[in-house]
Amino acid sequence: MTHKINRRAALGTLGAAAGLAGTASMLPGVARMAHAQGSGPIKLGFQVHRTGIGSAYGRWYERVATAAIERINASGGINGRDVEMIAEDDGTDPRRGAEVLERFSSLHEVDAVFGPLFSHVVIGSAPRAGELQMPYFVVSEGHHVASGILNRYTLQPGITDVKSQVISMAPFIAENVGRKVTMIYPDFAFGHDHRDFFTEAIAAQGGEVIEQIAVPPTETSFTRYFPSIPRDTEVVYHVMVGPAVLTFVREMGEFFGGRGPALFGFIDSLEAVDVTSPGLEFLEGSYFWEGMARHAQADQTAHETAYRAAVGVDDRGASVDDARDVSTYAHMFGVWETLAVMKAGMEASGYQGPSDRPALIEAVEAMSDMPLSDDHPQGGKVFNGRTHQVFGHQNITQLQEGTLVQVHRTSIEDTLYDDEVDYTTQAF
Amino acid sequence: MVLRIAIATAAALAAICAALPAAAHVSEQGLVLLLPTEHYRISGVLAVVASILLISMAPKSFVTRLFRPIDIAGPKLPIWVPELTSLVALICFFTLVWIGVTGPRDPLTNLFPLMIWVGFWIILFSVIGLSTDLWRFVNPWTGLCALLFGRKSAGLVTLPTRLGATPALAIFIAFCSFYVVDPAPADPDRLAVIAMLYWVLTLAAMAVFGASEWMRRGEAFAVLFRLISRNAAFGHGQARRVGMPGWDLLPSQPLPLSLGLFAVVILGVGSFDGLKETFWWLAIIGVNPLEFPGRSFVITSSLIGLALSSVGLIAVFASALWLGSRIAQAGAPDAPPIPLALLLRRFAPSILPIALAYHMSHFLITFLVDGQYLLAAIGDPLANGSNLFGLGQLRVTTGFLNTTVSVRAIWLTQAGIVVLGHILAVLVSHHAALTLFQTPRRAALSQIPIATFMVGYTFFGLWLLAAPRGI
Repeated sequence: MTHKINRRAALGTLGAAAGLAGTASMLPGVARMAHAQGSGPIKLGFQVHRTGIGSAYGRWYERVATAAIERINASGGINGRDVEMIAEDDGTDPRRGAEVLERFSSLHEVDAVFGPLFSHVVIGSAPRAGELQMPYFVVSEGHHVASGILNRYTLQPGITDVKSQVISMAPFIAENVGRKVTMIYPDFAFGHDHRDFFTEAIAAQGGEVIEQIAVPPTETSFTRYFPSIPRDTEVVYHVMVGPAVLTFVREMGEFFGGRGPALFGFIDSLEAVDVTSPGLEFLEGSYFWEGMARHAQADQTAHETAYRAAVGVDDRGASVDDARDVSTYAHMFGVWETLAVMKAGMEASGYQGPSDRPALIEAVEAMSDMPLSDDHPQGGKVFNGRTHQVFGHQNITQLQEGTLVQVHRTSIEDTLYDDEVDYTTQAF
Repeated sequence: MVLRIAIATAAALAAICAALPAAAHVSEQGLVLLLPTEHYRISGVLAVVASILLISMAPKSFVTRLFRPIDIAGPKLPIWVPELTSLVALICFFTLVWIGVTGPRDPLTNLFPLMIWVGFWIILFSVIGLSTDLWRFVNPWTGLCALLFGRKSAGLVTLPTRLGATPALAIFIAFCSFYVVDPAPADPDRLAVIAMLYWVLTLAAMAVFGASEWMRRGEAFAVLFRLISRNAAFGHGQARRVGMPGWDLLPSQPLPLSLGLFAVVILGVGSFDGLKETFWWLAIIGVNPLEFPGRSFVITSSLIGLALSSVGLIAVFASALWLGSRIAQAGAPDAPPIPLALLLRRFAPSILPIALAYHMSHFLITFLVDGQYLLAAIGDPLANGSNLFGLGQLRVTTGFLNTTVSVRAIWLTQAGIVVLGHILAVLVSHHAALTLFQTPRRAALSQIPIATFMVGYTFFGLWLLAAPRGI
């Protein structure tokens, strides 16, 4: 059964249950000015990319956050108090991200903040979170948290980082797809991360990146790059992004004519894009990394089934209201799991109000195993309290007759790497 | 200080830790890049060229007949009607401002920014451009002014005649700078405060300079909508006539210079609003289009671009007019030269159909997506879970941007609007030339540079629609 939720409806249930009196509880403006200290709802600030380049993700992050908050409230809230979500748009802009944290702290007086995805926004906002001593739960999959450049108040417990995602692909690729790899990537930080992490990881598996083809970000036609792919290439690892990605795939398909090397890519290229779009038929048979497999698998767990229903997504990863409206399925579970961790942390620390924020951080730092459950529908995870980064299983799917079929699921061990920081040594 | 350092280094740090670049509606843009837009663009430009050739041979009587409006019979609308509707609009405006200040901080949930940027700036602008000047009925000042100062209040000070509509133009440029450049133009609180401030200042200006005078020359949107409604079937609404869209662009008197410039600035701003999202522009300002850093990082370059596009368009348009005039006068050395200002005043109305077309075309996808958010907010105006008209439960979808069929339909609609706007502009320009130059031959000659400008702008407009965007 599909349980249809709505953000406004969720907000509307908050005031009465929280015991706020009379009409004031029905006025969001009044409610948001109310002080949250020990009584009333737990207030969680949702820093959301409502506008700007992240808005396609923001729309789905908002939908998942709403569903997760509704679920938490339906099960008794946090420490017996209902949860109120207050959304602020950061415009996918780091300067505004920092301002949003100021507003969360001084105007809304929230207990903690969650939600940002884009790396530059997280990196621009996190220092302010530290100064404001505001627990800041990011859902960005960037390596910036575990790399040690942020601070003790910033955590990423709901989604794995790109470094562990990339290195965990290497064993499967080397074993099953090919050992001679040509990488095609956009020539900026995003592509460079993939190049650096994967080149090292595949070498550790006895494979080799035999060619690295960096494509300028402004490129919209790619045929002149394909002749640079060495003939003995067994796998093409591609991570092109942006509006020209469909053109890239079509031109690559036309170049190889179905007789080329195997293809491996990150679904980031095609997140929220229908894989049956014209041009993408050339991807038939190619492999993808997916944080969470967009298309329901034959052995889908009951936890994932419940999650799909709660966020209103069908078996093809599209909205139940519009089968053409494809979600950001590979990433958005991170919001759901982050909120579950925040709840668990607040309950473990007996969180009552802002003075308990350090205790909340310590409670999350003390977490380790997070088993597969309704709280963690993507799968079991291990949290590293020192690096503030969670680690989990990664999926490799293959496009088979228009459906992304899971062909491999990594172990969590495959995703681990040496610690680069110990945030627990930093003072609050 | 720490915050400033953090923000200043954010972009640099992001460069070593980037996780996930993307662009809004990437699927739609990806599908557009797969469409044969080059063929469509050539077809669109050829349609404008063909219309230029046909129209250049059309006699003035034909163009005049084509645009001749029909008088509408029936009683004249009582003067209290627009005053009453204005008072209703005032109550709505105050309610919306209150929602803006007290409602949710999410700009896609709060009704106020949605009403301003979708309801007002996209829908009302377009409806006025196609029907008539409805701003007379829905502005939040004239009803109150009639109550406070009486209908014929002349104010305390006379607004100097030589200023023309320059105050309105200055305010319009300030408004455009805000919506094109500001990092957070949809922030509900800020927008509500700014709107309220503008309302108060306008009311004060109406008290000082007289209500009708300020609405004629000082209130930016009254002037803007009166100009844009000249494209409309019912014209700007004073004459109670209906005709082919654009009939009211053929005034018996040339426009005041400030209004002529206003018309060109509308198009200049609209063009830059589209241009600033393209890979081409982002490359110029040194921004990676796949990693747009946010509006707050491009404030200066956007302001410069906005100014350059408006001034540049005025310069190019004026040059085409001057050149056309020189060509037309070449065979008639005894004819007195026509001043550039008069040329601008005569030909500026021909820019207005293009300005309207650009506006409608540029905002079509925003209208289709954010229009859903507006409906949902109308269904739940106080964001308290209510479900008026069954709209409160509406779930926004962008699925129509995910299929070739719908994306092609949207693109061709946008392109069709741009081409139609240019064809109408050519007609109006031809009529102006026939009025200004004594013989049809000289009129046709005068149109060579202007027609070239029109064809070039058609190409530019269609290129904008097809160009990859990074925002």
